[in-house]
Amino acid sequence: MVKSTRLALAVLAGLVAAPAFAEEVPILKIYTYDGFAAEWGPGPGIKAGFEAICGGCVVEWIAADSSIGTLRRVQLEGETTEADIIVGLDTAIAGEARATGLFADHGLDLSGLKLPEPWTDAQFVPFDYAHFAFVYDTDTVATPPKSFEELIALPDDFKIVVQDPRSATPGLGLVLWIAGAYGDRAPEIWAGLKPHILTVTREWSESYNLFLEGEADMALSYSTSPAYHIIAEGDDTIHAAMFDEGHLAQTEVAGILKSSDKQELAKQFLAYLASVDGQKVIPSTNWMFPVIDLGADIDPAFATLPQPEKTLVLSDEEIAANSQRWIDEMLAAVQ
Amino acid sequence: MLTLPHRPLRIAAAIALAAGIAILIVLVLWAILAAATGSEGSASRIDIPHLLRMTSIQAGLTTVLSIAVGMALAWALNRLRFPGRDLVVGLFASAIVTPGMVVAFGLLSIWGRNGWINQASEALFGFSIGNPAFGLSGILFAHVVLDGAFAARIMLARLDAIPTPRLKTGQSLGLTPWQRFAIIDWPSLRGTVPGLAAIIFLLAFTSFPIVLMLGGGPANQTLEVAIYAAVRQDFDLAGAVRLAATQIAVCSLVILAASALAPIPTSFGASTAPRWRDRGLARLLQMLVLMLCTIGFVLPLLSVLIDGLGAGIGRVVAQPAFWWATTSSLVIGTASALLTLLLALALALGRGATGNGLLRTLLGMPAFAYLAVPAVVLSLGFFLLVRQLGFAPATAAPFVVILANSLLALPFAMATLGPPLEAIARSRGKLIRSLGLSGWRQFTLVEYPLLGRDIGVMLALAFCFSLGDLGVIALFGTQDFQTLPLMMFRALGSYRGNDAAAIAAILLVGTIVAFVGLPRLFERIADAAR
Repeated sequence: MVKSTRLALAVLAGLVAAPAFAEEVPILKIYTYDGFAAEWGPGPGIKAGFEAICGGCVVEWIAADSSIGTLRRVQLEGETTEADIIVGLDTAIAGEARATGLFADHGLDLSGLKLPEPWTDAQFVPFDYAHFAFVYDTDTVATPPKSFEELIALPDDFKIVVQDPRSATPGLGLVLWIAGAYGDRAPEIWAGLKPHILTVTREWSESYNLFLEGEADMALSYSTSPAYHIIAEGDDTIHAAMFDEGHLAQTEVAGILKSSDKQELAKQFLAYLASVDGQKVIPSTNWMFPVIDLGADIDPAFATLPQPEKTLVLSDEEIAANSQRWIDEMLAAVQ
Repeated sequence: MLTLPHRPLRIAAAIALAAGIAILIVLVLWAILAAATGSEGSASRIDIPHLLRMTSIQAGLTTVLSIAVGMALAWALNRLRFPGRDLVVGLFASAIVTPGMVVAFGLLSIWGRNGWINQASEALFGFSIGNPAFGLSGILFAHVVLDGAFAARIMLARLDAIPTPRLKTGQSLGLTPWQRFAIIDWPSLRGTVPGLAAIIFLLAFTSFPIVLMLGGGPANQTLEVAIYAAVRQDFDLAGAVRLAATQIAVCSLVILAASALAPIPTSFGASTAPRWRDRGLARLLQMLVLMLCTIGFVLPLLSVLIDGLGAGIGRVVAQPAFWWATTSSLVIGTASALLTLLLALALALGRGATGNGLLRTLLGMPAFAYLAVPAVVLSLGFFLLVRQLGFAPATAAPFVVILANSLLALPFAMATLGPPLEAIARSRGKLIRSLGLSGWRQFTLVEYPLLGRDIGVMLALAFCFSLGDLGVIALFGTQDFQTLPLMMFRALGSYRGNDAAAIAAILLVGTIVAFVGLPRLFERIADAAR
């Protein structure tokens, strides 16, 4: 009964809507997080660039409040989702996303990408990355700590702000970073950090602004954060501290939904996203590193940013099996 | 009770509305449970009793402090006259509708490590006062700024409405300031306390970003954080519904206590009495209260204005997106405010028309219970419901926002309009019956003219509340649908702190204008009707 009502409504809606789309231009519907689709984000540039080469298609961004929100939405919608692609999942939730079985293989050759680690993922295509890092201001912090242990050894009034791993991607990133660097010693590191943690915020934006307002000496952010201040504000006092333990990278990825009936167009889009033209849009709109070598096409502010000597790697399986325990340990240690 | 006019239609409308809200809450939870059967979530690992205990302590302290501070401030503001008083009253009132994050950052720029007070103290005396703005004290401070100022605004309206003859009698009897408070003020304030206390408790109980940011870590957390994690990170939908039901149940005890209290007559209308100042110590105390509250409450908001109205504002105002967001905010705010007014009148008139305690309680509860439903649960539930009904989420989004905003503002509206409406029904009931007025004429001839100013306060509240919290459509896929608060949060989330500061300041100016202007406007309109 309900189904037939819905069918009737759909037919009615179709009758009304049909004349407008008489030309039958394929519409690629892409779920993403709102910062990506924002007018200052990469969304508009990527849309224009792809529409120019796809031979008559329209890209439609459908933004949720966060990248995990986009995944939850397709999980709720299942087979009936209207999304063809999700753009903006990151490596910490890629394993969980893959396990839903909703994503198709991309079938692209990604061997030419330049990432901290070679890319072998069959479902997800990377489009930008940065390392999690603590940022500091050279005006107030002359010699930043060079490791978690150095940070712990500083006086207690040296304050950092971090994010809740249950609500913010970098917060989860820090939990994984410390677990990746210290393994079973992670709770000990967290306990050592506790006196330095001014507060644990819900979102990245809150901690970052606490740092900018001078309430804390360092904030957990990204190795690329200084690029924003250099390029947009001409301010080169914000730096990312490089830690000897190595850093964990956050790689943002895109994937095609199996349920999409535009598989070919979707593949074409992912190929564009990882191409020179697509990648040129990313750095100064999403403030992340591109996944290919852009040569002279990247703003020099990015080229000169320090890169960590070592990138820590955690597999999907390790993350899926342990992240809840690691989060619990972190919460218990900083309680 | 015999003096209440017979108004079956009013009671029926209120019953229908209360039942509708209750059904909506049940549907939201049911939709999530139905979706949960497909997904297996991880077992919940949350120490619920601990969270409940922590949250109740925090919310209880917030409530007691806010009511006490609010009452002291209302008392001081009612007695004192000074240039810019209206502006100060407007500033106090606007705290509660300003996004919590803005107020929190305002507080920090005064009290934080790098705030005005520390800077001044270091420059003058060479030492820092440290950082008092974090931890439980920080949470309480921020909450009292938000909620205490709101309580003060509502209570001030009642004090300002104390009838002239009562004041004149008091003055001629030579009441001391304390006697004056106990005999004249307290009876008019009493009626507002249960509703205000319930609202403040619920707000503090469900507060999320402030608690997390100023709390200093997971030790000071609310159930709301755990529910957010269950929905978003763990995707444990059944667990989320369980936690949400727990939260609603606990909050319902408070709501039950507040709604079950017998109605207390209060004052209504505007007072026209000539000023009657307190003298001596009382006056000094009033000045002290006002000064402390100004430092505590007004300075943080002032710092928001100063930060925002600087250089960055030109760039923000030059963006077409800013004007679209402003238009959306105004349309959503106006529509929500009008809907809130209708809903609040229906409920409050219905409650005022019955003398049956049980019915009054049942009529009041659903509106308040809606405040106890976690925001992340609402956004998920509404998304699922809209899909179930077969609507495209993006199309339904504006209507969902307006409805959700109105329901959120409803308890505030009832706290504003309820007490004076009750008082009118009881004090003018005999007159209305003897004149044989119909329900409609009772409203247009008696209630509306006496309520003008309160309707203005209520509309300002609902309007500012609804300028654009879009949390409820977080999943709807509406990136083109942008309001000013959303634009501010997006700017904050993409390094554009200056833009965010400018938008925050513009929002604050808008709410102050609404709070100063709307009550006056409606008082004038209602006067014209009289």
